[in-house]
Amino acid sequence: MSDHHSNSPGAEKPQEPQQTEHLNIKVTDNNNEVFFKIKRTTQLKKLMDAFCERQGKSPQSCRFLFDGTRVNPTDNPESLEMQDGDTLEVHQEQIGGADAW
Amino acid sequence: MATSLCMTRLQEERKNWRKDHPFGFVARPAKTSAGALDLKKWECAIPGKEKTLWEGGLFKLEVLFPDEYPTKPPKCRFTPPLFHPNVYPSGTVCLSILNEEEGWRPAITIKEILIGIQMLLDEVNPESPAQADAYNLFKKDRTAYEKRVRQVVKDNPAS
Repeated sequence: MSDHHSNSPGAEKPQEPQQTEHLNIKVTDNNNEVFFKIKRTTQLKKLMDAFCERQGKSPQSCRFLFDGTRVNPTDNPESLEMQDGDTLEVHQEQIGGADAW
Repeated sequence: MATSLCMTRLQEERKNWRKDHPFGFVARPAKTSAGALDLKKWECAIPGKEKTLWEGGLFKLEVLFPDEYPTKPPKCRFTPPLFHPNVYPSGTVCLSILNEEEGWRPAITIKEILIGIQMLLDEVNPESPAQADAYNLFKKDRTAYEKRVRQVVKDNPAS
């Protein structure tokens, strides 16, 4: 009867106890994909600015989402519990209320 | 060991989703009040498909996995309930691939489920209505139905 499943159901990263210092993060706006390698403690601002610069976008026109939640420039991978290989989505900043119909 | 199979599969699904998922979709395990992940309850969101009436909307749903998953399908429920002919007043999605007696197969992934639901938004099945409100309007007054959908999109913007 003993269950080998010793890690609690809540633990999400059971098989990767090694905390590598660098993470590969994919940034995509649905047209372009750019891969970045950053430190766990580096502010995401660095990566956001780099993506915008490379794509010729202004940071004000972009919304960055991780797991559906908006990311602040001051967040870092550690604070967001990001893992190697995670994706950051870039959506266009938009303002509600413009009635197109 | 049914629970263990369920958990192993859900961890695998989570891992695969983090690695790659369709743009604009959200799927993540809920957090319990203690801050632990609840792998059997996922909070998801489906964007309306481009070039359809539903474009520009983002619709939240809850996906609940039974202990017997993946033998049995998860239950998908829009929160709040969605105006759509194939969605029950409770918000539960009525779709063949989510029905154990119909199209469910244990190999169907969360990604496929969510994309399937996205397609359902614009591909109404009038043969199997689940709510009177949207079904009647869809059948009797298509213009009014479309107007209502646009309002739903406006009320659930992707931003």
